[in-house]
Amino acid sequence: MSRPGTVQQTPAERSDHAVVTTLVDHEVTTHTFDEAVRRALESHGRFDSATPETADIVHTNGSPTWDVRDVRSGTLVEPSAGATVIYRVDALGPDATATTLRLTGPGVPDERTLRVSLPPTEVDAIADAQSVYPRGVDVVFAAADRISALPRSVTVEVV
Amino acid sequence: MTDTETPRAETSYESVDAVLDSLDDEGLDGYSYAYLDEHTKREVRRSILKAVAIPGHQVPYASRPMPLARGWGTGGIQASLSILGPTDTFKVIDQGSDESVNAANIRRLARDTAAVETTTDTTDSDVIQTRHRIPEEALSEDQILVLQVPVTDALRKVDPSDAANRRRHAHKNYGKMWVHLYENVVEWGEINIASRYPTMVAGRYLMDPSPIPRWDVPKLDDADNLFVFAAGREARLYAVPPNTDVEPLAFEDREFQVERFGDATCQFCGSDDTYLVEIEGDDGETRYVCNDTSFCEKRQDDPELAKDHHRERDVSWGPGTPSEGADATGGDGT
Repeated sequence: MSRPGTVQQTPAERSDHAVVTTLVDHEVTTHTFDEAVRRALESHGRFDSATPETADIVHTNGSPTWDVRDVRSGTLVEPSAGATVIYRVDALGPDATATTLRLTGPGVPDERTLRVSLPPTEVDAIADAQSVYPRGVDVVFAAADRISALPRSVTVEVV
Repeated sequence: MTDTETPRAETSYESVDAVLDSLDDEGLDGYSYAYLDEHTKREVRRSILKAVAIPGHQVPYASRPMPLARGWGTGGIQASLSILGPTDTFKVIDQGSDESVNAANIRRLARDTAAVETTTDTTDSDVIQTRHRIPEEALSEDQILVLQVPVTDALRKVDPSDAANRRRHAHKNYGKMWVHLYENVVEWGEINIASRYPTMVAGRYLMDPSPIPRWDVPKLDDADNLFVFAAGREARLYAVPPNTDVEPLAFEDREFQVERFGDATCQFCGSDDTYLVEIEGDDGETRYVCNDTSFCEKRQDDPELAKDHHRERDVSWGPGTPSEGADATGGDGT
């Protein structure tokens, strides 16, 4: 999160599972498409289910059926109530044959590019959802054992 | 980061002596890794991530009771213990010194419960917890500085109402602080704030940089490392990510200035480009010494040692480092 757009290795494969289980417990509400994650968390009493529009942590496989612009974005007084959206993607980083993002803002010296296998329309929707700064959503992309974050403080442009 | 909690051992003792014998170890059996339970660490980490995503915004968190009174670094300890992993090296400083009782005890708590290496060398550490100073040696991108914060809101000194101040932050309404600075100039001819200098983060949030001297404020700007600010008593966390614009508030004709020491140099190492503090000797004479003791010791061995000696390139790190070396006022002059 402090270095948006850098791709980091996670110790466990299925990095989106690692991110979700690191963040989720009974204090936050969660939406996930993944039954395995839901069952695992429920068995520990750590899963409080919610719709994508009301959850604190939202987990999706690629482009979601719902609109990322509709998830919680917090209030001006408490913007940190905005949701964290975790996208499972097929590819991330220099070898990904897909959309190229140009990032600027806090945590980015000059500018940084990130390649992620999501359609440009979805990336535009994320940029829209983050455009109401300091309100907005924070995004984590996860592919296999790699993750990259797009906090709301960065400005995202599709190249 | 471990996700398993060790259940507390249920033991029954035959006699009082047996109980006393069992206390021979450090008594840490059954505690979670890094003292805090997994649930607490998860909550602190969630708050830190939100704080990083909204630089300068104060994020609430639970702030659990710690084996130490609130206001003595409990926020910093919770942040540090939530960040530390078994391969990390930990350093704690209190007013620039590694040897204060509080710093030594916090370091020992982390060593005993989180199984981390501890060090007094800034360049060797992965996580540094600090009170009232930022080290003189330039931090690098794989380091995290955790600052203990007594007062989280820079606006508190112009309005004691937290609700009103949160509304001001929401609307980026910092007029009252500008009036306060103006009154300062009228009264003193310059802005007369010794520490907790009001600072603008990424052009959006006014932040209290904790009671660091003005000397350290320019180090926050466009740094290579992450800064995490944690207040235990007020239960708030905030952060400054690397490569973020941090600008101390000042006027065009009354610039931000760091402390000036005249011709004074450190009594022990002779440095004239570090933050010095006054000590009074038995003869009543005032002498100056480096506040950062670990760097002072290195300078005593090598007086020419640069603050970025361990880095491959020249690093701008507050007063007396490359890009600001020629500027006697320090800061970026804005």
